[in-house]
Amino acid sequence: MKIGMLGMGRVLRIASALIVLGLVVEIISLAWLHPLAFALFMFVGVSLMGLGILIYLASLVLVVSPPGENRGG
Amino acid sequence: MGLTVLLIAQIVLTITLAVVFFVRPSITAGASGKFLAFIALCILPALCIAGGMSTHMDRSERTRFCTSCHAMANYGKSLYIDDPNYIPAQHFQNHRVPADMACYSCHADYTIYGPLRDKLRGVTRIYAQYLGTPSQTIQIPGGYKNRQCLRCHAGARSFDANPIHVAIMDSLASNEMSCISSGCHDMVHNPAEVDHLKMWSPGQ
Repeated sequence: MKIGMLGMGRVLRIASALIVLGLVVEIISLAWLHPLAFALFMFVGVSLMGLGILIYLASLVLVVSPPGENRGG
Repeated sequence: MGLTVLLIAQIVLTITLAVVFFVRPSITAGASGKFLAFIALCILPALCIAGGMSTHMDRSERTRFCTSCHAMANYGKSLYIDDPNYIPAQHFQNHRVPADMACYSCHADYTIYGPLRDKLRGVTRIYAQYLGTPSQTIQIPGGYKNRQCLRCHAGARSFDANPIHVAIMDSLASNEMSCISSGCHDMVHNPAEVDHLKMWSPGQ
């Protein structure tokens, strides 16, 4: 499924969810002083947040919302 | 510590805003909503990534970070050997290197990409420890570089006053001869024997 075929609201939800998950991973990694915490943040946290940011940015370019599509929440 | 608290506050703010956009994506219908979404879903997360990387890079320079790995436990213990002939112990106990950054002080490659390259190399060790086969003996790729020692010692009065150092300085600088080679400063961590050696306790 292409990102442009999803509604703006749905894309924002996916991006938000990925960013929140990534940030939760970051908080967990900051609470733990261990090399695994470093790897957890670098590989899982950064990937989730990065993907969320990319999806959001892609949505600005690729998703065309029909008028009033995302007014209902 | 203060920067970590600021980072956590920033993360909590970002989570709050992202949850708002998850629950009510319709907020982005207006121009101000679009602007807020850009801040919440692009700028703030990017700052959280940068802050997290910086914090983790700083934390990974701490002695406690290095010795938290099981394979490093005896190397950490060796810093407390009660014998001034042991080079790492002598440096650690006499604060010739910062005690809370003891490993990093002598084991970081001080080149422009040194710390990052060291961290990436560390990641391969994590892989070997948890997903691969860890090697029985820990060896530094390419051997220990004299640059780590000379970074502080070169030009120091006591170092330059030693005629042996002066005579072999070119060999040391080119790494042709190691500072920790046999007959010189060859007593380093000795992790295999550390449990049988006399230990120093801080405050003794």
